[in-house]
Amino acid sequence: MLIIFSLSPQTRPSMKDSLTLLSRLSAHPDSRCWFLAWNPTGTLLASCGGDKTIRIWGKEGDTWVCKSVLGEGHQRTVRKVAWSPCGNYLASASFDATTCIWMKKNNDFECITTLEGHENEVKSVAWAPSGSLLATCSRDKSVWVWEVDEEEEYECVSVLNSHTQDVKHVVWHPNQELLASASYDDTVKLYHEEEDDWVCCATLEGHTSTVWSLAFDQSGEQLASCSDDKTMRIWRRMASGEEQGKKDPTWKCICTLSGYHTRTIYDVNWSHLTGAIATACGDDAIRIFEEDAGSDVMQPTFSLTAHMPRAHSQDVNCVAWHPKEPGLLASCSDDGEMAFWQYQRPE
Amino acid sequence: MESADDLFEGIVMCEERYHGEGYEEGFAEGNHVGETEGKQYGALYGARAGSELGCYLGFASTWRLLLSPNTDEKQSKKIKTLDSLIKMIQSFPTDDPTNDKLQDELSRIRGKVKQLCSMLNIQPDFRMNYDNSGLSF
Repeated sequence: MLIIFSLSPQTRPSMKDSLTLLSRLSAHPDSRCWFLAWNPTGTLLASCGGDKTIRIWGKEGDTWVCKSVLGEGHQRTVRKVAWSPCGNYLASASFDATTCIWMKKNNDFECITTLEGHENEVKSVAWAPSGSLLATCSRDKSVWVWEVDEEEEYECVSVLNSHTQDVKHVVWHPNQELLASASYDDTVKLYHEEEDDWVCCATLEGHTSTVWSLAFDQSGEQLASCSDDKTMRIWRRMASGEEQGKKDPTWKCICTLSGYHTRTIYDVNWSHLTGAIATACGDDAIRIFEEDAGSDVMQPTFSLTAHMPRAHSQDVNCVAWHPKEPGLLASCSDDGEMAFWQYQRPE
Repeated sequence: MESADDLFEGIVMCEERYHGEGYEEGFAEGNHVGETEGKQYGALYGARAGSELGCYLGFASTWRLLLSPNTDEKQSKKIKTLDSLIKMIQSFPTDDPTNDKLQDELSRIRGKVKQLCSMLNIQPDFRMNYDNSGLSF
C-alpha cells in the first residue's frame, strides 16, 4: 500500500480532504445496517438492521457507545427508524408488516404500540413536524397516515393507493402538513389533507428507475430525490398562479445531477444547518454537493464538494446529518458498520 | 373488343377482388367476435367490480347500524368515516363504464375500506382483488 503524506501548509481543505473520518464501528455485526436517525437534539442516534434490532447510541467522551438494544419488537428486518419531534418516541418500520412505537423511559425504551394494517413489508416511517401525524409506506403500494391522540392511541386517518408499485420512502415537509413518498414506480407523490381526507396533490415524474429516498431543504421549498437511475434531482415548489389554472402548487424539476454516481443512489440527506446535500451510493461512496454561490434560484447549479470512495466496504445505505453540529455526518452500510464523518466546505 | 377487355379484366383482377372481399368478410367476422369477447370480458369485470362494491356497501351499512351514535369522539369518527365510504360507493359511476376515473375511484374506496378495518380493529374476511397487481419486489 502506498501512503502519501501531504505536507502542504494550506489550512483550507481541498475537495480531497473536505470529508474526514472521525470514527467507525460495527453497529449490527454479521448483518446489514439499514438506516440511522438522530434524535432532535442530536444526543442520541438510532440504528436499525437486518438482525431485527434497533440500537441506540450515545457519545461518551470521544467514542460512541451502544446505550440500549431494542430486540423484542420485530420478527424480521427493521428497515427504518424515526424519532418524534419531541424526541420521546421512536417509530420503527419492519419487514414483518408492522410499525412499532417505542417510548423513552429514563434510559430505556418500551414498545407501547404496534401498528398493523399493511399487507406486507413496511419500508419507511416518518413523523410530521407537529408530532400528531405519522406516515408509513409498504411494499403493498400504499401509504398510510396515522393520527396520535393525547392518550397515545394511534388511529389510521387515510390509506393512499396512489402508487402503482412498492413505496420505498416517506418524508414530511419541515413545517407543513405535506407528505412526500418515493416509489419503485419511478415517481414521487405529494399528499395533503383536503376536506377531511388525504389526497395525492402532485406527481413528480422524471426519474427513469426506482426512487429510493427524498429530502426537503430547510425551507421546504425544495425537495431532493435520488434514484436507481444514478441521478439526483432537485424539485422546486412553484407558487400557485405561476402556472395558470392550477389550484395546487406544482413542483418542477430545476436540476438533475447525473454523471457523479456510478451505481444506485440509496439515500439523500439535505443539511438544514449548512445546505449541503449528502448522498449514499451503491458504489460504496459518500458524496457531498453544495449549491454554487450566485446560481439562479430557478436554475441552480450544484458542485461536488466531497467524494469519499470506499467510505464503506459495501453499499452505503444511509447518510444522516447531525441536527445541531454543522458538518457532522453519520453513515451506515450493508457491511453492518456505521461511520462518523466531519465535513468542511472546501475552498 | 370491350367484352374481351372485361373478360380479361375479370380474370386479371379476380385475385384482388377476392382479397378485398375476404378482407371485408374477415373484418366483419373479427369485429363480431371481438365485440362478443369484449362483452364477456366487460360483463365479467363489471360483475367482479359490482360484487366487490356491493360487499363493501353491505359491510359499511351493517357497521353503520351497529355503532350507536352520540357516544364518544372515537365512535363519531368511525361513523363519519363509514358515512364517507357509503357516500363514495353510492356516487361511484357504475353506469358509466368508460369513465376514466373508475380505477382511481375504486382504489380510493379500497383505501377507505382498509382504513375502516384498521379503525374498527377487525380483520376483513373478504379478500381484496387487485386487477393491476403487477410484479413487485
